[in-house]
Amino acid sequence: MSNNRVTRRQFLNYTLTGVGGFMAAGMLMPMVRFAVDPVLQKKEGGDFVLTKQKVSELTKTPVKVDFTFEQVDAWYKSDVTSTAWVYKEGDKVIALSPVCKHLGCTVNWEGDPAHKNQFFCPCHGGRYEKNGENIKGTPPLGPLDEFEVKEKDGLLMIGKTRPNTLV
Amino acid sequence: MFWIGKDVEVFSAQKEFIDTAIVPLTVIDGSPIGMKQSASAAEFLMSLTAFVEQQFKGRVMIMPPFSYTNSMVKKDYIQAIDEELKLAGFKYIFYMTSDHSWTSAAPELSVLWLPSIPLGDMDQSVKQSVLSDQIRQVVPMLSSKWSEL
Ligand code: FES
Repeated sequence: MSNNRVTRRQFLNYTLTGVGGFMAAGMLMPMVRFAVDPVLQKKEGGDFVLTKQKVSELTKTPVKVDFTFEQVDAWYKSDVTSTAWVYKEGDKVIALSPVCKHLGCTVNWEGDPAHKNQFFCPCHGGRYEKNGENIKGTPPLGPLDEFEVKEKDGLLMIGKTRPNTLV
Repeated sequence: MFWIGKDVEVFSAQKEFIDTAIVPLTVIDGSPIGMKQSASAAEFLMSLTAFVEQQFKGRVMIMPPFSYTNSMVKKDYIQAIDEELKLAGFKYIFYMTSDHSWTSAAPELSVLWLPSIPLGDMDQSVKQSVLSDQIRQVVPMLSSKWSEL
């Protein structure tokens, strides 16, 4: 009988380890979730945002395509609408990020009437070729990023940005 | 850029390019009739300035909004803010507001007045097109100052 009795010390040991473990788990779980979350999200296919743009209507001329996701910007949290410049090169759909590689303004296709067939940044006159290549002598030092693209039921889906693969 | 630590670091290093500060001016009205209107005007202005930031990130710094009540001598505060921002090195300082009283209160400052549009119940894509329309009014005002020497 006495063999099975839990001593005061053992009892305290068990309970304290239990509580300690619980607390540790409380701290670790969110950390683990933060680390694992992006991976989990990817499995749900949630990295691509569906747009209203029909892939069949795209041409050689870049058009602005809007897509919306939630973002926290400084003190201001909101649904943010981003844009991509999308065109077709043969059968391939190309979506370029509008974010200027100089200091981050939004570039426009043929935004400067003096430079046809180029992207133009209104902030300091940065310019890019249609494939995103920065034009020497203007402030930007690298090409525009590219978005990953997918098609779903004839509509364009836009994913993450990656370094330009066309230049 | 926003007035946050990370962006201000970039500003300090790139002052020749980031030369413009934009201060949103929002009235706080606590009266039962004025409250909703003042809140949705602030909401509109915050969305609009965030959109301006997205378009002109590399050139403008959006400051935290200056909030005041109608009983305050708001002009004095603005003059102090104006001087402080000049000191910080901004070449152009704009004030954006939906409060019409500023257009006569501070004629020597660059006040961009835009009538507020209640965005509260709008769906994101409608909101976006309203804001794009509004921004089309703002851009010429910015670029006309930028092209002055
Ligand atoms: S941010 Fe585009 S040229 Fe400077």
